[in-house]
Order: sequence, then structure tokens, then C-alpha cells
Amino acid sequence: MATQTVNQSTAAVATQEIHTDTTVKWFLLGAVGYFAIVGIVALIIAAKFVWPQFLGSISYFTYGRMRPLHVNGMLFGWLLAADMGLAYYIVPRLCGVKLWSEKLGVATSILWNIIIVSAVVTLLGGYQKGLEYADLPTPVAVLVVIAWVMFGINIFATVATRKYEQMYVSTWYLMGTILWTAFVYLTGNFATLLPGMTGVNQANLNWMYTHNAVGLIFTPAGLAAAYYFIPRASNTPLHSHRLSMVGFWSLAFVYVWTGAHHMLHGPISQWLQTISIVFSIMLLIPVWAVVYNFIATMKGQWHQLNDNVSLKFLMSGTIFYLLTCFQGPMHSLRSVNAIVSKTDWIPGHAHMAVLGTFSFFAMAGVYYVVPRIFKTTLHSEAIANWSFWLFLIGGLGMFTALWLGGFWQGWQWNNPSIPFIDTVVALKPVWLVRFFSGIMIFSGIVLFLFNIMSTALGSGQAEAEPARS
Amino acid sequence: MLHKTDSNAMLFVGAALGLFFIGGLLTTVAPPLLDKSWGKPFENHDATKGPTGKLVAYTEQEKRGYDIYIREGCKYCHTQQTRTLESDTIRSGWKGVRSPVSTPDEFVNDYRQTFGTKRTGPDLSRIGGKYSKEWHRAHFRNPRDLVPGSIMPPFPWIAENPDELDALVAYLQTRGRAKDWRPDNDYEK
Repeated sequence: MATQTVNQSTAAVATQEIHTDTTVKWFLLGAVGYFAIVGIVALIIAAKFVWPQFLGSISYFTYGRMRPLHVNGMLFGWLLAADMGLAYYIVPRLCGVKLWSEKLGVATSILWNIIIVSAVVTLLGGYQKGLEYADLPTPVAVLVVIAWVMFGINIFATVATRKYEQMYVSTWYLMGTILWTAFVYLTGNFATLLPGMTGVNQANLNWMYTHNAVGLIFTPAGLAAAYYFIPRASNTPLHSHRLSMVGFWSLAFVYVWTGAHHMLHGPISQWLQTISIVFSIMLLIPVWAVVYNFIATMKGQWHQLNDNVSLKFLMSGTIFYLLTCFQGPMHSLRSVNAIVSKTDWIPGHAHMAVLGTFSFFAMAGVYYVVPRIFKTTLHSEAIANWSFWLFLIGGLGMFTALWLGGFWQGWQWNNPSIPFIDTVVALKPVWLVRFFSGIMIFSGIVLFLFNIMSTALGSGQAEAEPARS
Repeated sequence: MLHKTDSNAMLFVGAALGLFFIGGLLTTVAPPLLDKSWGKPFENHDATKGPTGKLVAYTEQEKRGYDIYIREGCKYCHTQQTRTLESDTIRSGWKGVRSPVSTPDEFVNDYRQTFGTKRTGPDLSRIGGKYSKEWHRAHFRNPRDLVPGSIMPPFPWIAENPDELDALVAYLQTRGRAKDWRPDNDYEK
């Protein structure tokens, strides 16, 4: 493995000039912009829990319409777009060739922007499809499929023309993401609408999609970035190739079985619930294999975290990954599920996965990639450092408030002598903490946006300086 | 064997999709074939076997109400499942009567599943017949007038639109009514 990394480093320096990276620029700058725009939606939602009258009687701004916009905007506008942009950067470098087609890449980015704008308009207008995470109306979902095929063709064609025969683990994860997403997305958005797909049957497909949107789209795409950027940012070879294979192939097999754990104790066959519990516990295998590999790679290199913002995001993302993927299997135990399911604990858990882990990995990649593709240095390391601490402290504030509040809520629900409305009122302090944590996270987003845009826009003046690579 | 996939992309694609489809097909296509209650509407006339009743098709008005429920994203705050937890059957109950747990055959006509994942407001799986239309109208106009401390948004554009209000209330009154579970039969219309 060590030799492979060294070879690739040498090759990367020698072939620096072959990459034009136009597609990477389009995708990453768009993603960072949507991160900030949808961040405003997130703050409005958090405010509504504390002040329910806030923007309360305008239909477009009610919670029921803003929540799908928040979820889809963050998942597709920010995170998936950022992961795709990073894939367009990583795969050509790991293959030692140019991206197969920059024109196709830019066209994909334009289509992606059309999708996100259509999503905003349709979701606020109440044209949601009514399936969680698959809220986009069918015509928009069709555009997503087209864009995904365009992305897939570009990446697979690049892999097919590669100079290095052996593929690095990030390349597997990205190929896996493209293949699995194709089927997971079709299941959630189209198979759910087939005639006769109603009730529990539709819900089972919906949860297969929802769970695997995180497990087989954002997990492999995020891990691909982490597997690439941890060795790159620390200039250290990956600890173990064999262990990365264990992680990858166990993820490929185990994840898809667990959808029904979203309906534990609910109206779905008991034996299917039990299967989903067994496989949820088995998720610990791919997670621990990956986390051990990341931590072992950093052995003797931890001092680098002091002055390397990308590594700070990558390693705190790794710790959040370990935690969120310990929570997941534990929630699927019937006894724990009876307390935490449907409570505010769950958004705490979901945000640690999507924000704390996969957005941290994506931001690490953006901080690493943007100065390099614009052949300049980051506008401000100090501001980048500030953004990290705002994300970390705001994130921890939000996660812990929601876990404690959710657990408390679950205990109260299990005592039916407490009227339901009392369990709502009891949570107001928790939601206030969440709102202020949200302001910190949003400030982190604003600093991130400012830093990245200044780096990109200021690159013209900086060209005279020697490029840092 | 899998180490060959390191350098053979076609083999990689085959293995990645193969492993995915084992679990994918067994957990999505197989269950409805094995458990018929997923597709067969609830019907029971034998009181010794549990609650009696019959799941009936939605009327046109109820369907319009169902679409409003989807449009406004109600399911993001309200679940519709009385789980197999004692506290759920008590909380979904009414006037001291416990509600039966939800079963797949009660949801066969639901063309958009509304089970939900988050209970910011109370569960609605047995809301049908608990409150009158007048109560719902006042509640949609401003939930805090009836339930102090509630954080539900007001829905004036529904409360002030008789067509939409009637449709949405008609839909809500169907929730949980496939099973006749209240001995006094004291359901509001």
C-alpha cells in the first residue's frame, strides 16, 4: 500500500497540469452556496420550535414545507453536490488520467442547479411527493436520475481509461456509490409509486431508500473522500489495504438489510423487524474496520492536527462516525428503541451522521481542493480554524441537547399518566439550546462560504505567488 | 477472491451489485409475498379474534383531505402507528379504553404511507372520531387557543376554506376507524 501511495504522489506532481478541474469548480462552489442558503432554512425551522408563531401563518414557510426543503436541500444541494465535486477531483488523480469529459461534467452541474432550484419552488409550493427523503416531485426526480447517469458515465469512463491498473479504495467506494445509488434512488422514488404499492409495502420500500440514502450514498461517498484526504492531508500512507477491503465489502453486503428498523414495534412483520435488528448490529463490522484504519493511519501524526484544518475536520468526522454508527445499532435493539424512537434523539443522531460526519469530510475535502484547483492558497487559515470550532461546538451543543432531551421525552412518553402536551412543553429549553447551537453552526457555514469564495475569487491576484501543493 | 476486484473493474461491478441485490431483494420483494396482511384489507366479524370492523375505500372527499395532509407535510410531526408498546395503546386510547395496536391490513388503501418517523405532535393513528369538525376548525385556526403550549403552526388557509377544511376533517375521521374499538361507539362525525 505504501508503495502505491508514493507512486501516486509522484505521478500526481508530474501530471498536475493535465487536470483542468472545471467541473470540480462548478460543483464545489455551487454546493458551498447551497449549504449557506439551506442553512437559513435550518435556522428558521429551529426558531419555529421555540417561537411557533414565527413565520407561522404563511403557507410557504410552515414547518411541513420547510422540513422537506431543509432535508433535500442539505442532502442534494450541499452534500451530494460536494461529494460529486470531490469525486470529479479524486478519480482522475487516482487513475492518472484526465476526467473523461469536462463538457459532460459541466452539463451535469448545470442540470444539478436546475434540479435544486426546481426543488425549492416545488417543495415550498406543497408539491411534495409525500415520501420521506423522496419528497421531490416525480419530474424533478427524473432529472436527478438523468444527472446521476451523466455523473456515472463520466466517472466509469475515467476509470476505464485509467493508467494505474490497481484501483485505490476511494475509487471502489465511488463506483459503489454510483451503482448502489442508482438502484436505491429508483426504489425510493419510482418503485414506491408502482400500482398496488400502498401502506406497509410502500413504507418498507421508502425505509429501504431512506436508510440507504445515508448508508449507501452518503456513507461510501464520504468515506471515499476521507480515504483520499486523510493520507493526502497528513502525507502519510493508509494503514491497511486489507482492512479497507473488509470495510468495503461488509458495507456492500450488510447495509441494505436494515430498512425495517425504522418501524420497530410498528405495523410491519415481526420477522422482518428481527432481520433488520440482526443486520443493524452487524453494521459495527464495516464501521470499526474503517475507523480503525483511519486512526491507525494517523499514528504518530496527531501533531499535524494543530495547523491543518482539513485534518481537524477529517478526524473529528471520524470520531462522530464511530459514535453515530454505535448509536444506530443500539437504537435497533427493541428495548432502546422503545425509548428513543420518534423522539428528538433521532434528529440528534441523524445530524451527527449527515452534519458531524459526512459534511465534515466534505468540508475537509473542499478546504483541501479549492486552493489547489485555483492554484492559490486558502484565503485565511485563521478563518478556516474559526469555522471548524464553530461547527464542532455548535454541533456538539445540538447533538447532546437533542439526545438528552429525546431520551427524557421517551421516558415521559412511556409513562402514560403524563399528558402529551406536557412532554412538548418540557422540551422547550432543549429546543432553545438547539437554536443557539444552530446559530453557531450557521456562523461556521458563513465563514466557510466566505473563505472558499474569497479563495476562488482572489485567485487572480495570487497567481504570481508560487502555488502551494 | 475479492482482492481481484482491485484491478478488475467489471468483476468489481458484478460483486458490488451481487452483494447488494441479495439483501435488496430479500427485504423488499420477498416480504409482501410471505406476509399477506401487507396487501389484504382488514376485515373481521368475529369478536373473539379481536376488534371487529372492515377497512373501506376512501371517498373522493377523503382523498382530497388525504392530499392536503400530504401537501402540508403533517406526517413530519405526526406519526400514524399505535406501536406494540403499552404506553402507545394507552395514549392512542380514548376515555379509559385502550386502542388496538396498528396492523398492516389497516393501511392497504394508503397510497402515500403516513407512518412517520417523528412525534413532535401526538400520534394520529386513532384520531378518527375523537374530535368534532368544529373543534378541528378552531384548532387549525390557532392550535394554542385549544391546547396551550402547543407548537403546531396555525393553518388559516385551511380553516377559512370550507372545502379544504371539510375534506381534511373527513380524512382525519377515517384514521383508525377500520377497527371498531370503542365499546360505546361514541365517535364524533
